[in-house]
Amino acid sequence: MSSPLREALRGKRVLVCVGPGGVGKTTVAATLGLRAAVEGREALVCTIDPAKRLANALGIDAFSHHEATISVEAMRAAGLSPKATLRAMMLDMKRTWDELIERLAAPDKRERILQNRFYQALSSALAGSQEYIAMEKVWELHQRPSNDLIVLDTPPTAHALDFLDAPNRVLDFLDNEAARWLLTPALAAGKIGLQLFNLGGSYVARTLSRLTGAETLQELASFMLAISGMNEEFRQRAQQVKALMAAPETAFILVTSPAPERLDEVLHFLTLFKQSHMNVAAIVVNRMHAPPPDGAAARTLPAGLREKIERTLAEQDVLARHDKRALDALEKESAPTPLVRVPRFDVDVHDLPALWRTSEYLMAEPKAHGSRRT
Amino acid sequence: MGLLDKQLIVVSGKGGVGKSTIAAALALKLSSMGRRTLICEVNADERIAPMLGHPAVGPELTQLEESLWAVDVRPQEAMREYALMILKFKSVYRAVFENRMVRYFLRFIPSLQELVLLGKILFHAQQTEPDGRLRFDHVIVDAPATGHALTFLSVPRVLVQTVPSGAMSAEAEKMRAVLEDPTRAAAVLVSLPEEMPVNETIELRQALDARVGLRTEGAVLNAFVAPRFSEADEQALSPFTELKAVASAHRARAQCAEEARRRLERELKAHVHPVPRLFVEVIDRAALATLGEHLSPLLSGAA
Repeated sequence: MSSPLREALRGKRVLVCVGPGGVGKTTVAATLGLRAAVEGREALVCTIDPAKRLANALGIDAFSHHEATISVEAMRAAGLSPKATLRAMMLDMKRTWDELIERLAAPDKRERILQNRFYQALSSALAGSQEYIAMEKVWELHQRPSNDLIVLDTPPTAHALDFLDAPNRVLDFLDNEAARWLLTPALAAGKIGLQLFNLGGSYVARTLSRLTGAETLQELASFMLAISGMNEEFRQRAQQVKALMAAPETAFILVTSPAPERLDEVLHFLTLFKQSHMNVAAIVVNRMHAPPPDGAAARTLPAGLREKIERTLAEQDVLARHDKRALDALEKESAPTPLVRVPRFDVDVHDLPALWRTSEYLMAEPKAHGSRRT
Repeated sequence: MGLLDKQLIVVSGKGGVGKSTIAAALALKLSSMGRRTLICEVNADERIAPMLGHPAVGPELTQLEESLWAVDVRPQEAMREYALMILKFKSVYRAVFENRMVRYFLRFIPSLQELVLLGKILFHAQQTEPDGRLRFDHVIVDAPATGHALTFLSVPRVLVQTVPSGAMSAEAEKMRAVLEDPTRAAAVLVSLPEEMPVNETIELRQALDARVGLRTEGAVLNAFVAPRFSEADEQALSPFTELKAVASAHRARAQCAEEARRRLERELKAHVHPVPRLFVEVIDRAALATLGEHLSPLLSGAA
């Protein structure tokens, strides 16, 4: 069995790291980008919210979302001689949304859309909107032939559906049958700022307004009006984004930690991704506790020190066994998707040499599934 | 001072730091002191009741033990309760809210979902017994992770500012008053001795002050590593490479934990309560009780 991530790095154009918060997605994304660049592919890592030291290592600064190139000197200092360049950038979700609107909306409508509360909800709070805009950015970046490989680090996703369903949800929002139905008279009249009574005139609209206030409904009408006309372009783009996510040149990497509740989440993700015919290259289980070394030598130590060492080894053993048990359970459920294990390091992974060391684990060949049974 | 005299206790922090565990430990501790305690999960995969050895409770408020209740607040049920409260009549509710189109539409009203979830929690916090005293001495909220928690908790303020009139903003005003009352409500921030969780905790504290007006009572530094090995110990282990590495790694972790504690104390200007990592197979009732003992100073307000 060859290494699934090595193959993905060589054969894919877009790699998307997905998983719950706090499991090290950003580190995995940065590591994959670094490895690809060293091996000769022009790589771009798009990240969301990197730890400061990792951002420094990648040469990106939190206040710009331009691409930064990791200098050859920095690579050499880390003992690496890359055959291609590694670039990194930070995704600013709100700004990416605004840019999309600026590109698609008619000039006279732009400001009205950008200021609208419904737009603000769409671009920040709507489930899946962050995921959508991240994918939209990748679509745009992937249009540029200079990017051999794009690695996307995604926002922490609580529900896999937010991710898979994101293009549909955004389209739903923009082309909301229900809102049209409620607000048709105002839309037909072609103007806003009408009395609520004129908005729908309907029993339903009036009842709803008791709950939400009339202004809210009027603002929605205003938004629907401003974006009407943009829907077709939006729809096309969302379709393209969707197609790219399911394309053979794209693969998802599920990143998790060995905590039982995280593993349940990742299995749920895996099921949904498979149902949607998305390519899952591997599940990366990050921060596994390694088993303790043999403690026989401790017997010769003075009692106090011996006790301390033995207690530490016993603790480490509990954690390692715990992780292994969780992994064995995951392995049974996730077959035949390969599992890639990355140990927990004593310090945070935040510089190029540490990323490179991590990449050795990511490139490892996984044990064949079910080998224990044969 | 301390959590004992706060009725509404909001537990938040970065994803994966152990918010639910700390919220459950607090609930167990308070209820075991005879305080009538309600633990609320927010549209979650319900982990708290099972951790305490009970079946999952679902969206109905359920009594688990003599002084302990639990509920998983979910948007659909909360929306129904809220709409019924405002509209008064079930027939109106059915005609409007059970309409497929309307349901669909409601998903897109900014903040409505957060408002009804928070509204349900605060409704329980304000419930009274026939004799007039509050039904619950404590309502503990296992809040979402940082970013989402802020969206969630800032909804009352945002609505009061942006929606000048109507039932939604009247509700929001009541909620704002509870959250901003420092004698009644307090946040407990959970963190880990690592760079990102510590950063997020500090940002969360600032945002809670600025955007929510919710006072931070203190922080819990979970999985804390107390120093064990001295420099001399490490030296004495020199002949044993692997064992020496174990001791060095432990010292590094302890040092990291201590730095995290100091940094949090300095930046949060609040008490930081280290809670040791528990080396147990599963977090069960006994483990929660142990954690609860470590949280005692947070309850009494002692340093």
